[in-house]
Amino acid sequence: MLFRVDVAAAEPLADQIAAQVRGGVLRGELMPGERLPAARELADVLDVNLHTVLRAYAKLRDEELIELRRGRGAVVRGDADVARLRLLDLARQFVGEARRQGLGNAEMLAIVREAQP
Amino acid sequence: MTRSRIWAALILIWLPLAVTAFTWAAWSDRLPDRLPTHWSGTGPADGFSDATGFAVAILAVGVAAGVAALFVPRTRYLLAACGAVAGGAAGVWLAAASTDPVDTRLGWRFLWLVAGIGWAAVVAVVAGPQPGGHTPPPVTVTPLDLSPTERAAWSTTQRAPLLLTISVIAALVIAVVAAAGPVEIWPVLAVPVLTGLVFGRVRVTVDRRGVRLVAGLLDIPFKTVPLKDIVRADATEINPLEWGGWGYRITPGRSALVLRKGPGLVLYLTNGHLLAITMDDPRTPAALLGALVSG
Repeated sequence: MLFRVDVAAAEPLADQIAAQVRGGVLRGELMPGERLPAARELADVLDVNLHTVLRAYAKLRDEELIELRRGRGAVVRGDADVARLRLLDLARQFVGEARRQGLGNAEMLAIVREAQP
Repeated sequence: MTRSRIWAALILIWLPLAVTAFTWAAWSDRLPDRLPTHWSGTGPADGFSDATGFAVAILAVGVAAGVAALFVPRTRYLLAACGAVAGGAAGVWLAAASTDPVDTRLGWRFLWLVAGIGWAAVVAVVAGPQPGGHTPPPVTVTPLDLSPTERAAWSTTQRAPLLLTISVIAALVIAVVAAAGPVEIWPVLAVPVLTGLVFGRVRVTVDRRGVRLVAGLLDIPFKTVPLKDIVRADATEINPLEWGGWGYRITPGRSALVLRKGPGLVLYLTNGHLLAITMDDPRTPAALLGALVSG
């Protein structure tokens, strides 16, 4: 899969890398059980700090999308929930847009409730 | 290999035939009826042939090589091969015809044969280097739109389950034969084991450094192409038969990692060579390389 980061973008590099992995899983480019590039290697090819990649991978592990194992590197979890990931992705877009419009949590929840049929 | 060079090479392939015909005509009155045509070791000849029949046979081989050169694909290697046959035939003729009918030892006349086969080198030099594979088709992949502040890398893992299965079966068969049979074939075991380990899973990476092929099960890079050596990249359909078969194939001017029939990435290199790698989605790495090469 393609990793692509923009060092000039406002979004932190670790978040950009995590988003790329999420997108890869969503699009089916990364299958469960597939190994992500070693953190050191990805840091090297993207010319970013190793800790940036490790932060991205740790974030993905916390989201239960990948497994981090010593020696085996990062592997997409067999139980990676693509459906939930899709919802999470949409929710991120929603929250991002809502924040830009200056909405608070209560207002966002109200909109979600309103969206129910 | 320009048009004129190919014509010059073709003339050179026909030249030995002319030499045979000319010398046969010029020496016809002093040639013996039976020519010495076979030698074993350094002694006198132990085989003789009818001079006319032998000359006609040599001429026929020369004509065959010359005609073949007209119809084979115009590659340096095939033209040189035709040159070797044509030159070799003339060399045999000259060696036989110039041997003393009384003292029929071959001696230095062996060099006629060497020179005849060496004619291939002359043909190859005149034909000139092979142009960069085939004429590069127009690029079908639009380069990725990378801004100067963007960094991109791509990697994929290609699995070859069939190859892996065959390797395992082959290894088992060899192991059984080696254990049960009287023949010591343990070293042969290395072939399927290595094949499976190297090609069973291959990771392909494309980044600012270039293209790398890594034996996935061993984690050892076995082929690296620096970015500066890549002119451009494209996605294409790989037919294993056009690239010399399955596995890691090296044919003149082209090499390929063919794990199956289907889409693949083709790299056009600065030295005119081609490198092809079969993979599922060759358009993405081709687009990335397009951006990296031009950037």
